[in-house]
Amino acid sequence: MTMKSDKPEPEERIDPYLWDGSGQPDSEVEKLEALLSPFRYDPSARAIPRVENPAARVRRVRLFPAFAYVAGVAAIVVALVVMFVRGRQTAPASGPGWVVSDVRGTLRLGKTTVSAGKLSSHLGVGQVLETGAQSQARLTAEQTGEIDVDPNTRLRLVAMGNDTKRIALDHGVIHAFIWSPPGQFVVDTPSGITVDLGCAYTLQVDDSGGGVVRTSMGWVGFKLKGHESFIPAGAVAAIKPNSGPGTPYFEDASAKFRSALASFDFEDNTPEQRARDLGTVLVEARNRDALTLWHLLSRTDTSQRVLVYTRLARFVPPPSGVTEEGILGLDSAMLDRWWNELGFDDIAVWRRWERAWGGTGGVK
Amino acid sequence: MVRLLSLYAPREIRAASADARLVEAACRGDQTAFGQLYEQYAAVVHGLLLTKVPREEADDLVQEVFLIAMRRIMALRDPNRFGAWLSAIARNLANDHYRRLRPTDSLTEDPPETAGQTAATRHSDTGAAILDVIRSLPDAYSETLILRFVEGMTGPEIAVRTGLTHGSVRVNLCRGMRMLRERLEAASANRSERESH
Repeated sequence: MTMKSDKPEPEERIDPYLWDGSGQPDSEVEKLEALLSPFRYDPSARAIPRVENPAARVRRVRLFPAFAYVAGVAAIVVALVVMFVRGRQTAPASGPGWVVSDVRGTLRLGKTTVSAGKLSSHLGVGQVLETGAQSQARLTAEQTGEIDVDPNTRLRLVAMGNDTKRIALDHGVIHAFIWSPPGQFVVDTPSGITVDLGCAYTLQVDDSGGGVVRTSMGWVGFKLKGHESFIPAGAVAAIKPNSGPGTPYFEDASAKFRSALASFDFEDNTPEQRARDLGTVLVEARNRDALTLWHLLSRTDTSQRVLVYTRLARFVPPPSGVTEEGILGLDSAMLDRWWNELGFDDIAVWRRWERAWGGTGGVK
Repeated sequence: MVRLLSLYAPREIRAASADARLVEAACRGDQTAFGQLYEQYAAVVHGLLLTKVPREEADDLVQEVFLIAMRRIMALRDPNRFGAWLSAIARNLANDHYRRLRPTDSLTEDPPETAGQTAATRHSDTGAAILDVIRSLPDAYSETLILRFVEGMTGPEIAVRTGLTHGSVRVNLCRGMRMLRERLEAASANRSERESH
Protein backbone atom coordinates (compact mmCIF):
# COMPACT_ATOMS: atom_id res chain seq x y z
CA MET A 1 0.00 0.00 0.00
CA THR A 2 2.18 2.77 -1.32
CA MET A 3 1.42 5.85 -3.30
CA LYS A 4 2.98 5.97 -6.77
CA SER A 5 6.09 3.79 -6.84
CA ASP A 6 7.66 1.78 -4.06
CA LYS A 7 11.08 2.95 -5.13
CA PRO A 8 12.44 5.85 -3.16
CA GLU A 9 13.51 8.70 -5.35
CA PRO A 10 17.02 10.06 -4.86
CA GLU A 11 15.81 12.98 -2.78
CA GLU A 12 13.93 10.55 -0.53
CA ARG A 13 16.88 9.35 1.47
CA ILE A 14 15.22 8.93 4.78
CA ASP A 15 16.45 10.43 8.00
CA PRO A 16 17.69 7.54 10.19
CA TYR A 17 15.82 8.83 13.21
CA LEU A 18 12.56 8.94 11.27
CA TRP A 19 13.20 5.44 9.93
CA ASP A 20 14.16 3.53 13.04
CA GLY A 21 14.91 5.99 15.80
CA SER A 22 18.66 5.70 15.33
CA GLY A 23 21.14 8.51 14.78
CA GLN A 24 20.77 12.12 15.80
CA PRO A 25 17.20 12.83 16.93
CA ASP A 26 15.32 15.11 14.57
CA SER A 27 13.67 17.82 16.68
CA GLU A 28 10.62 17.98 14.42
CA VAL A 29 10.08 14.23 14.60
CA GLU A 30 10.63 14.27 18.35
CA LYS A 31 7.99 16.96 18.73
CA LEU A 32 5.52 14.95 16.68
CA GLU A 33 6.23 11.87 18.77
CA ALA A 34 5.65 13.81 21.98
CA LEU A 35 2.41 15.40 20.78
CA LEU A 36 0.94 12.25 19.30
CA SER A 37 2.03 9.58 21.76
CA PRO A 38 -0.93 10.32 24.10
CA PHE A 39 -3.16 8.79 21.40
CA ARG A 40 -1.25 5.53 21.59
CA TYR A 41 -2.98 2.21 22.16
CA ASP A 42 -3.49 1.56 25.85
CA PRO A 43 -3.55 -2.19 26.44
CA SER A 44 -4.42 -1.86 30.11
CA ALA A 45 -7.92 -0.70 29.25
CA ARG A 46 -8.82 -3.55 26.96
CA ALA A 47 -10.47 -6.89 27.46
CA ILE A 48 -7.33 -8.97 27.12
CA PRO A 49 -4.96 -6.96 29.27
CA ARG A 50 -1.26 -6.90 28.69
CA VAL A 51 0.95 -8.33 31.37
CA GLU A 52 2.61 -5.13 32.48
CA ASN A 53 6.19 -4.66 33.44
CA PRO A 54 6.67 -4.27 37.18
CA ALA A 55 7.65 -0.61 36.91
CA ALA A 56 4.31 0.25 35.43
CA ARG A 57 2.56 -1.18 38.44
CA VAL A 58 3.94 1.48 40.69
CA ARG A 59 1.85 4.10 38.93
CA ARG A 60 -1.44 2.35 39.14
CA VAL A 61 -3.04 -0.32 41.24
CA ARG A 62 -3.59 -3.34 39.05
CA LEU A 63 -6.34 -5.44 40.46
CA PHE A 64 -6.26 -8.51 38.30
CA PRO A 65 -3.58 -8.43 35.64
CA ALA A 66 -2.51 -12.04 35.47
CA PHE A 67 -5.89 -13.45 36.33
CA ALA A 68 -7.69 -11.39 33.72
CA TYR A 69 -5.12 -12.34 31.13
CA VAL A 70 -5.72 -15.99 31.89
CA ALA A 71 -9.47 -15.42 31.89
CA GLY A 72 -9.28 -13.61 28.57
CA VAL A 73 -7.23 -16.36 27.06
CA ALA A 74 -9.60 -18.91 28.56
CA ALA A 75 -12.43 -17.26 26.67
CA ILE A 76 -10.39 -17.55 23.52
CA VAL A 77 -9.96 -21.22 24.28
CA VAL A 78 -13.71 -21.68 24.38
CA ALA A 79 -14.15 -20.00 21.04
CA LEU A 80 -11.20 -21.64 19.35
CA VAL A 81 -11.81 -25.09 20.67
CA VAL A 82 -15.43 -25.07 19.63
CA MET A 83 -14.57 -23.58 16.26
CA PHE A 84 -11.83 -26.05 15.49
CA VAL A 85 -13.22 -29.17 17.04
CA ARG A 86 -16.89 -28.91 16.29
CA GLY A 87 -16.68 -26.90 13.12
CA ARG A 88 -19.54 -24.70 12.15
CA GLN A 89 -22.75 -25.34 10.36
CA THR A 90 -24.36 -22.28 8.97
CA ALA A 91 -27.22 -21.58 6.69
CA PRO A 92 -28.72 -18.41 5.41
CA ALA A 93 -31.14 -16.96 7.92
CA SER A 94 -34.64 -16.10 6.90
CA GLY A 95 -35.22 -12.66 8.37
CA PRO A 96 -33.54 -11.24 11.44
CA GLY A 97 -32.64 -13.89 13.94
CA TRP A 98 -30.07 -16.46 14.96
CA VAL A 99 -28.93 -19.56 13.15
CA VAL A 100 -29.48 -22.64 15.30
CA SER A 101 -26.82 -25.25 14.69
CA ASP A 102 -24.76 -27.97 16.35
CA VAL A 103 -27.91 -29.42 17.83
CA ARG A 104 -27.44 -32.37 20.13
CA GLY A 105 -30.45 -34.37 21.19
CA THR A 106 -33.84 -32.91 20.41
CA LEU A 107 -35.05 -29.42 21.15
CA ARG A 108 -38.15 -27.34 20.62
CA LEU A 109 -37.94 -24.36 18.31
CA GLY A 110 -41.24 -22.54 18.20
CA LYS A 111 -43.82 -25.17 17.38
CA THR A 112 -41.39 -27.53 15.72
CA THR A 113 -39.01 -30.16 16.97
CA VAL A 114 -35.40 -30.04 15.85
CA SER A 115 -33.15 -33.06 16.13
CA ALA A 116 -29.41 -33.61 15.90
CA GLY A 117 -28.22 -34.01 12.35
CA LYS A 118 -30.37 -31.31 10.86
CA LEU A 119 -28.07 -28.83 9.13
CA SER A 120 -29.45 -25.71 10.77
CA SER A 121 -32.59 -23.88 11.75
CA HIS A 122 -33.54 -20.32 12.38
CA LEU A 123 -34.64 -18.65 15.61
CA GLY A 124 -36.76 -15.68 14.64
CA VAL A 125 -38.02 -12.76 16.68
CA GLY A 126 -40.74 -13.89 19.07
CA GLN A 127 -39.81 -17.57 18.82
CA VAL A 128 -38.95 -19.73 21.82
CA LEU A 129 -36.12 -22.23 21.91
CA GLU A 130 -36.22 -24.90 24.58
CA THR A 131 -33.69 -27.63 25.16
CA GLY A 132 -34.40 -30.82 27.06
CA ALA A 133 -32.36 -32.70 29.60
CA GLN A 134 -30.20 -34.25 26.88
CA SER A 135 -30.12 -31.50 24.28
CA GLN A 136 -28.10 -28.42 23.54
CA ALA A 137 -27.43 -26.11 20.61
CA ARG A 138 -25.50 -23.19 19.32
CA LEU A 139 -26.95 -19.89 18.17
CA THR A 140 -24.95 -17.80 15.73
CA ALA A 141 -25.53 -14.34 14.35
CA GLU A 142 -22.76 -13.26 12.02
CA GLN A 143 -22.65 -9.65 13.18
CA THR A 144 -23.37 -10.34 16.84
CA GLY A 145 -21.76 -13.45 18.22
CA GLU A 146 -22.38 -17.00 19.33
CA ILE A 147 -24.39 -18.43 22.19
CA ASP A 148 -24.08 -21.99 23.39
CA VAL A 149 -27.32 -23.15 24.94
CA ASP A 150 -27.03 -25.84 27.63
CA PRO A 151 -29.60 -28.54 28.46
CA ASN A 152 -32.84 -27.59 30.23
CA THR A 153 -32.77 -24.05 28.94
CA ARG A 154 -35.64 -21.95 27.68
CA LEU A 155 -35.06 -18.65 25.90
CA ARG A 156 -36.94 -16.34 23.59
CA LEU A 157 -35.67 -13.93 20.94
CA VAL A 158 -37.17 -10.57 21.81
CA ALA A 159 -35.50 -8.26 19.33
CA MET A 160 -32.91 -8.39 16.59
CA GLY A 161 -32.45 -4.80 15.45
CA ASN A 162 -29.39 -3.03 14.14
CA ASP A 163 -28.61 -1.53 17.52
CA THR A 164 -30.14 -4.03 19.92
CA LYS A 165 -30.12 -7.78 20.02
CA ARG A 166 -32.26 -8.94 22.91
CA ILE A 167 -32.95 -12.36 24.33
CA ALA A 168 -35.08 -13.37 27.29
CA LEU A 169 -33.65 -16.25 29.31
CA ASP A 170 -36.43 -17.81 31.38
CA HIS A 171 -34.25 -20.54 32.86
CA GLY A 172 -31.17 -22.59 32.07
CA VAL A 173 -27.61 -21.75 31.09
CA ILE A 174 -26.18 -19.85 28.14
CA HIS A 175 -22.56 -19.15 27.28
CA ALA A 176 -22.40 -15.97 25.24
CA PHE A 177 -19.42 -14.94 23.17
CA ILE A 178 -20.26 -11.57 21.68
CA TRP A 179 -18.42 -9.48 19.12
CA SER A 180 -21.04 -6.86 18.34
CA PRO A 181 -20.25 -3.41 19.80
CA PRO A 182 -20.59 -3.12 23.58
CA GLY A 183 -24.10 -2.44 24.78
CA GLN A 184 -25.93 -4.05 21.87
CA PHE A 185 -26.49 -7.54 23.22
CA VAL A 186 -28.95 -7.68 26.08
CA VAL A 187 -30.41 -10.64 27.98
CA ASP A 188 -33.53 -10.30 30.08
CA THR A 189 -33.79 -12.55 33.11
CA PRO A 190 -36.38 -12.71 35.91
CA SER A 191 -33.76 -10.99 38.10
CA GLY A 192 -32.81 -8.13 35.82
CA ILE A 193 -31.00 -7.62 32.55
CA THR A 194 -27.43 -8.31 31.53
CA VAL A 195 -25.74 -6.03 29.06
CA ASP A 196 -22.70 -7.23 27.17
CA LEU A 197 -19.88 -4.73 27.32
CA GLY A 198 -17.51 -6.55 25.02
CA CYS A 199 -17.06 -10.00 26.36
CA ALA A 200 -17.69 -13.65 26.95
CA TYR A 201 -19.81 -14.72 29.85
CA THR A 202 -22.01 -17.45 31.27
CA LEU A 203 -25.46 -16.72 32.56
CA GLN A 204 -27.29 -19.25 34.67
CA VAL A 205 -30.89 -18.87 35.76
CA ASP A 206 -32.61 -21.48 37.93
CA ASP A 207 -36.31 -22.23 38.17
CA SER A 208 -36.78 -19.63 40.89
CA GLY A 209 -35.44 -16.94 38.58
CA GLY A 210 -32.24 -16.54 40.56
CA GLY A 211 -28.81 -17.55 39.39
CA VAL A 212 -25.38 -16.28 38.63
CA VAL A 213 -23.50 -14.39 35.95
CA ARG A 214 -19.85 -15.25 35.44
CA THR A 215 -17.63 -13.19 33.13
CA SER A 216 -14.63 -14.72 31.40
CA MET A 217 -13.63 -11.86 29.11
CA GLY A 218 -14.43 -8.15 28.99
CA TRP A 219 -17.18 -7.15 31.38
CA VAL A 220 -20.91 -7.35 31.85
CA GLY A 221 -23.35 -4.86 33.28
CA PHE A 222 -26.31 -6.18 35.24
CA LYS A 223 -29.25 -4.08 36.18
CA LEU A 224 -32.61 -4.23 37.90
CA LYS A 225 -34.34 -0.88 38.20
CA GLY A 226 -31.77 1.33 39.93
CA HIS A 227 -29.65 -1.57 41.18
CA GLU A 228 -26.64 -2.21 38.98
CA SER A 229 -23.50 -4.34 39.04
CA PHE A 230 -20.45 -4.34 36.82
CA ILE A 231 -18.81 -7.71 36.49
CA PRO A 232 -15.33 -7.78 34.94
CA ALA A 233 -13.46 -10.83 33.71
CA GLY A 234 -12.84 -13.30 36.49
CA ALA A 235 -15.69 -12.04 38.63
CA VAL A 236 -19.18 -13.34 39.35
CA ALA A 237 -22.40 -11.96 40.75
CA ALA A 238 -25.38 -13.80 42.11
CA ILE A 239 -28.81 -12.67 40.98
CA LYS A 240 -32.17 -12.93 42.73
CA PRO A 241 -35.67 -12.01 41.57
CA ASN A 242 -36.78 -8.67 43.00
CA SER A 243 -33.35 -8.11 44.56
CA GLY A 244 -31.56 -7.99 41.22
CA PRO A 245 -27.81 -8.39 40.94
CA GLY A 246 -25.78 -9.10 44.02
CA THR A 247 -22.46 -7.44 44.73
CA PRO A 248 -19.84 -8.75 42.28
CA TYR A 249 -16.78 -10.49 43.66
CA PHE A 250 -13.78 -12.44 42.49
CA GLU A 251 -14.16 -16.15 42.98
CA ASP A 252 -10.79 -16.51 44.64
CA ALA A 253 -11.89 -14.34 47.56
CA SER A 254 -11.85 -16.10 50.92
CA ALA A 255 -14.77 -18.31 51.90
CA LYS A 256 -15.55 -15.99 54.82
CA PHE A 257 -15.65 -13.04 52.46
CA ARG A 258 -18.01 -14.75 50.01
CA SER A 259 -20.30 -16.09 52.70
CA ALA A 260 -20.60 -12.74 54.47
CA LEU A 261 -21.22 -10.99 51.17
CA ALA A 262 -24.01 -13.40 50.22
CA SER A 263 -25.60 -12.91 53.60
CA PHE A 264 -25.30 -9.13 53.31
CA ASP A 265 -26.79 -9.09 49.80
CA PHE A 266 -29.70 -11.45 50.08
CA GLU A 267 -30.56 -12.46 53.63
CA ASP A 268 -33.26 -10.68 55.56
CA ASN A 269 -31.02 -10.07 58.57
CA THR A 270 -31.13 -7.81 61.59
CA PRO A 271 -29.11 -4.57 61.38
CA GLU A 272 -26.62 -6.08 63.82
CA GLN A 273 -26.06 -9.11 61.61
CA ARG A 274 -25.71 -6.92 58.53
CA ALA A 275 -23.09 -4.89 60.35
CA ARG A 276 -21.23 -8.07 61.24
CA ASP A 277 -21.39 -9.31 57.66
CA LEU A 278 -20.08 -6.03 56.36
CA GLY A 279 -17.31 -6.06 58.94
CA THR A 280 -16.23 -9.51 57.80
CA VAL A 281 -16.20 -8.41 54.17
CA LEU A 282 -14.06 -5.37 54.98
CA VAL A 283 -11.61 -7.33 57.09
CA GLU A 284 -11.26 -10.12 54.56
CA ALA A 285 -10.97 -7.80 51.54
CA ARG A 286 -7.77 -7.81 49.50
CA ASN A 287 -6.58 -5.23 46.96
CA ARG A 288 -8.45 -6.80 44.08
CA ASP A 289 -11.64 -6.88 46.14
CA ALA A 290 -11.83 -3.15 45.56
CA LEU A 291 -14.30 -4.26 42.91
CA THR A 292 -16.66 -5.43 45.65
CA LEU A 293 -16.02 -2.48 47.94
CA TRP A 294 -16.80 0.03 45.21
CA HIS A 295 -20.18 -1.60 44.67
CA LEU A 296 -20.86 -1.65 48.40
CA LEU A 297 -20.61 2.13 48.56
CA SER A 298 -24.06 2.44 47.06
CA ARG A 299 -25.49 -0.57 48.91
CA THR A 300 -24.81 0.60 52.46
CA ASP A 301 -26.31 3.23 54.70
CA THR A 302 -24.40 6.37 55.57
CA SER A 303 -22.86 5.05 58.76
CA GLN A 304 -21.61 1.89 57.02
CA ARG A 305 -20.55 3.74 53.88
CA VAL A 306 -17.84 5.64 55.68
CA LEU A 307 -16.27 2.32 56.70
CA VAL A 308 -16.38 1.08 53.11
CA TYR A 309 -14.94 4.38 51.89
CA THR A 310 -12.02 4.18 54.30
CA ARG A 311 -11.20 0.59 53.36
CA LEU A 312 -11.49 1.19 49.61
CA ALA A 313 -9.38 4.33 49.82
CA ARG A 314 -6.58 2.25 51.34
CA PHE A 315 -6.54 -0.01 48.30
CA VAL A 316 -7.24 2.54 45.58
CA PRO A 317 -6.90 6.18 46.64
CA PRO A 318 -9.69 8.33 45.25
CA PRO A 319 -8.47 10.41 42.31
CA SER A 320 -8.13 14.15 42.44
CA GLY A 321 -11.51 15.85 42.67
CA VAL A 322 -13.19 12.89 44.32
CA THR A 323 -13.95 13.77 47.91
CA GLU A 324 -15.09 11.75 50.90
CA GLU A 325 -18.09 14.04 51.25
CA GLY A 326 -19.05 13.48 47.62
CA ILE A 327 -18.72 9.72 47.86
CA LEU A 328 -20.67 9.53 51.11
CA GLY A 329 -23.36 11.59 49.38
CA LEU A 330 -23.25 9.10 46.46
CA ASP A 331 -22.25 11.72 43.91
CA SER A 332 -22.58 9.65 40.75
CA ALA A 333 -19.90 11.52 38.79
CA MET A 334 -17.41 10.97 41.62
CA LEU A 335 -18.34 7.31 41.94
CA ASP A 336 -17.76 6.88 38.22
CA ARG A 337 -14.39 8.59 38.39
CA TRP A 338 -13.31 6.37 41.23
CA TRP A 339 -14.46 3.30 39.31
CA ASN A 340 -12.24 4.32 36.43
CA GLU A 341 -9.30 4.18 38.82
CA LEU A 342 -9.93 0.53 39.62
CA GLY A 343 -8.30 -0.63 36.40
CA PHE A 344 -11.20 -2.36 34.70
CA ASP A 345 -12.83 -0.46 31.88
CA ASP A 346 -14.22 3.00 31.36
CA ILE A 347 -17.66 3.25 32.91
CA ALA A 348 -18.63 5.68 30.17
CA VAL A 349 -19.43 2.65 28.00
CA TRP A 350 -22.16 1.69 30.42
CA ARG A 351 -23.42 5.22 30.89
CA ARG A 352 -23.80 5.63 27.12
CA TRP A 353 -25.86 2.49 27.04
CA GLU A 354 -28.00 3.70 29.95
CA ARG A 355 -28.72 6.98 28.18
CA ALA A 356 -29.67 5.12 25.04
CA TRP A 357 -32.19 3.16 27.07
CA GLY A 358 -33.72 6.23 28.65
CA GLY A 359 -31.94 6.77 31.91
CA THR A 360 -31.11 4.78 34.97
CA GLY A 361 -34.63 3.75 35.78
CA GLY A 362 -35.80 3.16 32.29
CA VAL A 363 -35.11 -0.50 32.02
CA LYS A 364 -37.26 -3.13 33.53
CA MET B 1 21.70 -25.31 9.36
CA VAL B 2 18.57 -23.35 8.60
CA ARG B 3 18.12 -22.78 12.31
CA LEU B 4 21.71 -21.58 12.58
CA LEU B 5 21.29 -19.21 9.64
CA SER B 6 18.09 -17.85 11.12
CA LEU B 7 20.04 -16.72 14.17
CA TYR B 8 21.93 -14.33 11.94
CA ALA B 9 18.88 -13.06 10.08
CA PRO B 10 17.79 -9.47 10.69
CA ARG B 11 15.70 -9.01 13.80
CA GLU B 12 12.48 -8.21 11.92
CA ILE B 13 12.82 -11.36 9.80
CA ARG B 14 13.23 -13.43 12.94
CA ALA B 15 10.18 -11.69 14.40
CA ALA B 16 8.13 -12.44 11.30
CA SER B 17 9.19 -16.04 11.42
CA ALA B 18 8.26 -16.28 15.09
CA ASP B 19 4.90 -14.71 14.34
CA ALA B 20 4.25 -17.26 11.61
CA ARG B 21 4.86 -20.01 14.13
CA LEU B 22 2.40 -18.37 16.50
CA VAL B 23 -0.17 -18.18 13.73
CA GLU B 24 0.27 -21.87 12.95
CA ALA B 25 -0.11 -22.68 16.62
CA ALA B 26 -3.22 -20.48 16.87
CA CYS B 27 -4.70 -22.32 13.90
CA ARG B 28 -4.16 -25.56 15.77
CA GLY B 29 -6.14 -24.14 18.68
CA ASP B 30 -3.32 -22.90 20.88
CA GLN B 31 -4.99 -20.15 22.88
CA THR B 32 -1.75 -18.83 24.34
CA ALA B 33 -0.39 -18.30 20.85
CA PHE B 34 -3.41 -16.24 19.91
CA GLY B 35 -3.00 -14.23 23.08
CA GLN B 36 0.58 -13.47 22.11
CA LEU B 37 -0.48 -12.40 18.63
CA TYR B 38 -3.04 -10.11 20.23
CA GLU B 39 -0.37 -8.47 22.35
CA GLN B 40 2.04 -8.07 19.47
CA TYR B 41 -0.40 -6.73 16.91
CA ALA B 42 -2.86 -4.72 19.00
CA ALA B 43 -0.89 -1.50 18.51
CA VAL B 44 -0.73 -1.78 14.73
CA VAL B 45 -4.43 -2.57 14.55
CA HIS B 46 -5.16 0.41 16.75
CA GLY B 47 -3.02 2.65 14.56
CA LEU B 48 -4.75 1.56 11.37
CA LEU B 49 -8.16 2.11 12.94
CA LEU B 50 -7.14 5.52 14.20
CA THR B 51 -6.70 6.77 10.64
CA LYS B 52 -10.46 6.57 10.13
CA VAL B 53 -12.26 6.52 13.45
CA PRO B 54 -12.19 8.58 16.64
CA ARG B 55 -9.85 7.46 19.35
CA GLU B 56 -12.46 6.13 21.76
CA GLU B 57 -14.09 4.06 19.04
CA ALA B 58 -10.71 2.80 17.84
CA ASP B 59 -10.11 1.36 21.30
CA ASP B 60 -13.30 -0.68 21.10
CA LEU B 61 -12.78 -1.74 17.50
CA VAL B 62 -9.38 -3.25 18.28
CA GLN B 63 -11.17 -5.99 20.14
CA GLU B 64 -13.63 -6.42 17.31
CA VAL B 65 -10.83 -6.88 14.80
CA PHE B 66 -9.29 -9.64 16.90
CA LEU B 67 -12.58 -11.36 17.45
CA ILE B 68 -13.11 -11.48 13.70
CA ALA B 69 -9.56 -12.68 13.22
CA MET B 70 -9.99 -15.38 15.82
CA ARG B 71 -13.06 -16.72 14.09
CA ARG B 72 -11.51 -16.67 10.66
CA ILE B 73 -7.89 -17.50 11.27
CA MET B 74 -8.30 -20.96 9.79
CA ALA B 75 -9.05 -19.30 6.46
CA LEU B 76 -5.58 -17.75 6.43
CA ARG B 77 -3.58 -19.84 4.00
CA ASP B 78 -0.13 -18.33 4.47
CA PRO B 79 0.84 -17.71 8.10
CA ASN B 80 3.52 -15.30 6.90
CA ARG B 81 0.75 -13.01 5.67
CA PHE B 82 -0.89 -12.68 9.08
CA GLY B 83 0.10 -9.03 9.44
CA ALA B 84 -1.21 -8.06 6.03
CA TRP B 85 -4.36 -10.09 6.58
CA LEU B 86 -5.03 -8.59 10.00
CA SER B 87 -4.34 -5.12 8.59
CA ALA B 88 -6.91 -5.76 5.89
CA ILE B 89 -9.50 -6.69 8.50
CA ALA B 90 -8.69 -3.53 10.44
CA ARG B 91 -8.94 -1.35 7.32
CA ASN B 92 -12.23 -2.94 6.31
CA LEU B 93 -13.70 -2.42 9.73
CA ALA B 94 -12.43 1.16 9.87
CA ASN B 95 -13.86 1.90 6.43
CA ASP B 96 -17.15 0.35 7.37
CA HIS B 97 -17.25 2.40 10.53
CA TYR B 98 -16.31 5.52 8.61
CA ARG B 99 -19.10 4.92 6.10
CA ARG B 100 -21.62 4.59 8.89
CA LEU B 101 -20.38 7.80 10.46
CA ARG B 102 -20.53 9.76 7.23
CA PRO B 103 -23.58 9.43 4.99
CA THR B 104 -23.05 9.71 1.24
CA ASP B 105 -24.11 13.34 1.12
CA SER B 106 -21.03 14.22 3.16
CA LEU B 107 -19.05 13.84 -0.09
CA THR B 108 -20.11 17.36 -0.91
CA GLU B 109 -18.25 18.70 2.11
CA ASP B 110 -14.88 20.42 1.92
CA PRO B 111 -12.08 18.23 0.63
CA PRO B 112 -9.97 16.60 3.32
CA GLU B 113 -7.06 18.97 2.74
CA THR B 114 -9.19 21.96 3.63
CA ALA B 115 -10.70 20.21 6.61
CA GLY B 116 -7.27 19.27 7.87
CA GLN B 117 -5.88 22.71 7.37
CA THR B 118 -8.82 24.26 9.16
CA ALA B 119 -8.31 22.01 12.13
CA ALA B 120 -4.63 22.79 12.24
CA THR B 121 -5.26 26.49 11.93
CA ARG B 122 -7.47 26.36 14.99
CA HIS B 123 -4.88 24.74 17.18
CA SER B 124 -1.82 23.90 15.21
CA ASP B 125 0.25 23.07 18.25
CA THR B 126 -2.00 20.38 19.67
CA GLY B 127 -1.69 16.70 19.05
CA ALA B 128 -5.36 16.40 18.14
CA ALA B 129 -5.05 18.97 15.39
CA ILE B 130 -1.92 17.35 14.01
CA LEU B 131 -3.67 13.99 14.05
CA ASP B 132 -6.49 15.55 12.03
CA VAL B 133 -3.99 16.81 9.48
CA ILE B 134 -2.37 13.39 9.23
CA ARG B 135 -5.78 11.83 8.71
CA SER B 136 -6.36 14.20 5.82
CA LEU B 137 -3.35 12.74 3.97
CA PRO B 138 -3.72 9.84 1.52
CA ASP B 139 -4.35 6.59 3.38
CA ALA B 140 -0.95 5.04 2.71
CA TYR B 141 0.79 8.06 4.19
CA SER B 142 -1.55 8.61 7.12
CA GLU B 143 -1.38 4.96 8.17
CA THR B 144 2.39 4.88 8.15
CA LEU B 145 2.76 8.21 9.94
CA ILE B 146 0.28 7.24 12.63
CA LEU B 147 2.06 3.94 13.22
CA ARG B 148 5.37 5.81 13.43
CA PHE B 149 4.36 8.81 15.58
CA VAL B 150 1.33 7.63 17.53
CA GLU B 151 2.16 3.98 18.09
CA GLY B 152 5.92 4.58 18.28
CA MET B 153 6.83 1.83 15.81
CA THR B 154 9.99 1.94 13.74
CA GLY B 155 9.97 1.62 9.94
CA PRO B 156 11.12 -2.01 10.03
CA GLU B 157 8.48 -2.88 12.63
CA ILE B 158 5.78 -1.27 10.49
CA ALA B 159 6.92 -3.35 7.55
CA VAL B 160 6.81 -6.60 9.50
CA ARG B 161 3.49 -5.94 11.19
CA THR B 162 1.61 -4.68 8.12
CA GLY B 163 3.19 -6.94 5.52
CA LEU B 164 4.52 -4.00 3.52
CA THR B 165 8.02 -3.98 2.06
CA HIS B 166 10.72 -1.82 3.60
CA GLY B 167 10.73 0.22 0.40
CA SER B 168 7.03 0.95 0.66
CA VAL B 169 7.25 2.01 4.28
CA ARG B 170 10.29 4.16 3.50
CA VAL B 171 8.50 5.91 0.65
CA ASN B 172 5.35 6.41 2.69
CA LEU B 173 7.30 7.89 5.58
CA CYS B 174 9.33 10.22 3.32
CA ARG B 175 6.49 11.48 1.19
CA GLY B 176 3.99 11.50 4.02
CA MET B 177 6.36 13.51 6.19
CA ARG B 178 6.96 15.97 3.38
CA MET B 179 3.24 16.41 2.77
CA LEU B 180 2.53 16.75 6.48
CA ARG B 181 5.20 19.40 6.83
CA GLU B 182 3.75 21.36 3.91
CA ARG B 183 0.25 21.28 5.33
CA LEU B 184 1.34 22.26 8.82
CA GLU B 185 3.36 25.15 7.42
CA ALA B 186 0.43 26.29 5.30
CA ALA B 187 -1.86 26.12 8.30
CA SER B 188 0.62 28.06 10.40
CA ALA B 189 0.93 30.72 7.69
CA ASN B 190 -2.86 31.02 7.49
CA ARG B 191 -3.07 31.47 11.21
CA SER B 192 -0.35 34.14 11.25
CA GLU B 193 -2.09 35.97 8.46
CA ARG B 194 -5.39 35.95 10.28
CA GLU B 195 -3.82 37.09 13.52
CA SER B 196 -2.12 39.98 11.77
CA HIS B 197 -5.51 41.23 10.54
